[in-house]
Amino acid sequence: MIDVLTALFNLLIYPGLLFISILGLVYEWVDRKAVARFQNRMGPFHTGPRGFLQPLADFIKLMAKEDITPAWADKILFAAAPLFAIVIPTFATLYIPIAGKPVLPPFEGDLILIISLTTFFTITAFIAGWSSMNRFSTIGAIRAGLQLLAFEIPMFIAVASVAMSANSLCITTIAQKQIFEIQLAGTTYKILLPYALLQPLGFAVFLIALQAELERVPFDIPEAESEIVAGWLTEFSGKKLAFLRLSSDIRLVLGTALATAIFLGGGNGPILPPIIWFLIKATIIVIISAMLRALFARIRIDQLVIGAWKYLIPLSLVQLVFTKLLMVVM
Amino acid sequence: MEFRTWVQGIFLVERICGICNTPHTTCYVLTVEELYGVEAPPRAQYIRTIINELNRIHSHLLWVGVLGMEIGFWSYFMYIWRDRERVMDVVELITGNRVTTSAMLIGGVAYDITPEMEGPIRRAMDYLEERTKFYKKVFETDPTIRARTQDVGVLPTSVAIDLCAVGPTARGSDVKSDVRVDEPYCAYGEVPFNLVTYPTCDVWARAMVRIDEVLESINIIRGCLDKMPSGPIKLRLPRVPPPGEAMNRVEAPRGELLHYCKSDGKEKPYRFKARTPTLANIPALCEMLKGYYIADIPAIISSIDPCYCCTERLIFRDINSGKIWTMSYDELRRYSLKWYKGNGGRRN
Amino acid sequence: MAMLREIWKNFPRKPATLKYPFEKLELSERYRGKQEFNPDLCVGCGLCARECPALAIEMVVTEDGKKRPVFHLYRCIFCAQCERICPRGAIKLTKFYELAAYNKESLIMATTKVKK
Repeated sequence: MIDVLTALFNLLIYPGLLFISILGLVYEWVDRKAVARFQNRMGPFHTGPRGFLQPLADFIKLMAKEDITPAWADKILFAAAPLFAIVIPTFATLYIPIAGKPVLPPFEGDLILIISLTTFFTITAFIAGWSSMNRFSTIGAIRAGLQLLAFEIPMFIAVASVAMSANSLCITTIAQKQIFEIQLAGTTYKILLPYALLQPLGFAVFLIALQAELERVPFDIPEAESEIVAGWLTEFSGKKLAFLRLSSDIRLVLGTALATAIFLGGGNGPILPPIIWFLIKATIIVIISAMLRALFARIRIDQLVIGAWKYLIPLSLVQLVFTKLLMVVM
Repeated sequence: MEFRTWVQGIFLVERICGICNTPHTTCYVLTVEELYGVEAPPRAQYIRTIINELNRIHSHLLWVGVLGMEIGFWSYFMYIWRDRERVMDVVELITGNRVTTSAMLIGGVAYDITPEMEGPIRRAMDYLEERTKFYKKVFETDPTIRARTQDVGVLPTSVAIDLCAVGPTARGSDVKSDVRVDEPYCAYGEVPFNLVTYPTCDVWARAMVRIDEVLESINIIRGCLDKMPSGPIKLRLPRVPPPGEAMNRVEAPRGELLHYCKSDGKEKPYRFKARTPTLANIPALCEMLKGYYIADIPAIISSIDPCYCCTERLIFRDINSGKIWTMSYDELRRYSLKWYKGNGGRRN
Repeated sequence: MAMLREIWKNFPRKPATLKYPFEKLELSERYRGKQEFNPDLCVGCGLCARECPALAIEMVVTEDGKKRPVFHLYRCIFCAQCERICPRGAIKLTKFYELAAYNKESLIMATTKVKK
């Protein structure tokens, strides 16, 4: 009985659904404040201390707004899209060891499961745009699909070279494998050598592909505000839009948690409990992502696909081959 | 305009456009002064030049920021608009308001530039020059900006001349046309400056023309402050100009602006007409859009610096029957509702 | 990379935003805000009402039998033409600009009692 209650608590409250949603709102705040500071302005300021409650205020406001479905939209798919958009990233995040152990039992291959769930999310974005029956949504949906073609393969290859190096396809194991034991003057020291240092090229490729997966500048092409209103999100309003925006926050948590777990040795570190280390490392990745957001203009979809296949894929392949050679040599 | 007196007309003409309000007033007072047959005193001409150039700097900086925003570069937009505040502060120092300056009077200017103001103006110009050089460097070297603006919206030189493009739209296609050089007005004949053109004919060239024009405007303001003559800043003129008609053109930030005015000796103008530069650039815009992606639309449309409030009203014309009509707001709304009812279910 | 240095320079800097309404912008001396009218200097010539481009000044007869202007601030464009044209300098534009209101009547500025 206690096990069932503990499992439910883990699943729903901490570190499950509620914690991930709240963490998503917190990261949205960190991201907005960081981008604002890079642009020499203030970001959210009034709601809560230093604007901390602004994402929550946005969510509550959107829940209270009128929910309009276009007359010609496919009603079932239109209503289902925000649900899929929330469920898929949250389910994927439950496999990442945020607080030491993941919520759902880890298994060999959960890395592949999580990466493939990102493909499912893009299909959801496509369904959302396609069912809206709006010319801007259609363009946004098609661009989301094209963007998947661009970023998916470099991301997989970068992750594959890490998995090859750790000889495992389980995220928890990969996070643990970044702790090395060395013998110095008789005593055994444990040091953390994150794969970000050992495979920097793969880390850089993963961060760029992550920026494209999360649809943030310079790759926020499916949602390009000045060109196609809001892309595949255009026709959504009220509760549906609230959940779609929450889903983009949860995807931010998913992406940064994945990057932390497999590249930064998430959770492992001296003295502090695993959850604190995890949050610190994930916040660093959020700030790097915010920096990339402040630094560039938005590029066109054809330039993204061409650039990804011309530059990102060869770089990630170089990393893969180099890692394999190093493993054979050592 | 025909329902307001000559002096009341200055303030109405200023509000044709919010951003380029100074060229509108300058052109109007030059036209009315031509009707009177007088010229404003030299000091007033120099002050008019300074206020016009300040307006050009603020309009071009606004536009470069907006171009950055249209291609998704929010940081660039934020930085430029922060630095544009310095220009607005200088304009507020001289005239009392940041945007609609209300500084021109028929026969001169309303506000004088005192010696205490020269220090802040020069300091602001130095700061702006340094920042504009940084923005120019970013525009030349940033890879994402170059990817979005180079070879986009190309307007060949011959097409630009055929379609009568004006202002930076034409100068970005290597056409040497600038009213300040062709027909100098105010103090432009006495202060040296360069005519900026770029040969590449794309959105990038038009943006670079405007950034370089900001640097030229800073030099013009410095030259005017150096050479400023002393004397009165306005003339006393009779209430009503003698009958006649006059036309004048000035170089607004967007191109060549034309005002025509006819007087019949009464206290209100008989006829007034303004032709704004955006109207002249629209045929060139239609030509520029052909053959590019949807993603290029914002960049190309904003590259002619459209001032929709300046552009004339839309007229519908049936080519076959020759019928010409306009639509009111209600008619347009009813037409769009009917169209969406019939066509809304289609995806495209 | 020019922008990279720039954004890292801006990160620790104080934001350029003013926390209005707690911090207000400092205005220049020539700023054109709401009018201040001195009824003792006014002679009732009506030039301000005739010259106003926005037709925002109305000459009314006061309780003392004199003609005085009433300013309709919801029409005013703050061009300072009334300040320039007044032969006695009775109208001066101050630096007050916070003129948002809930109803039009609060924006009609009459400094002397109007004869009903």
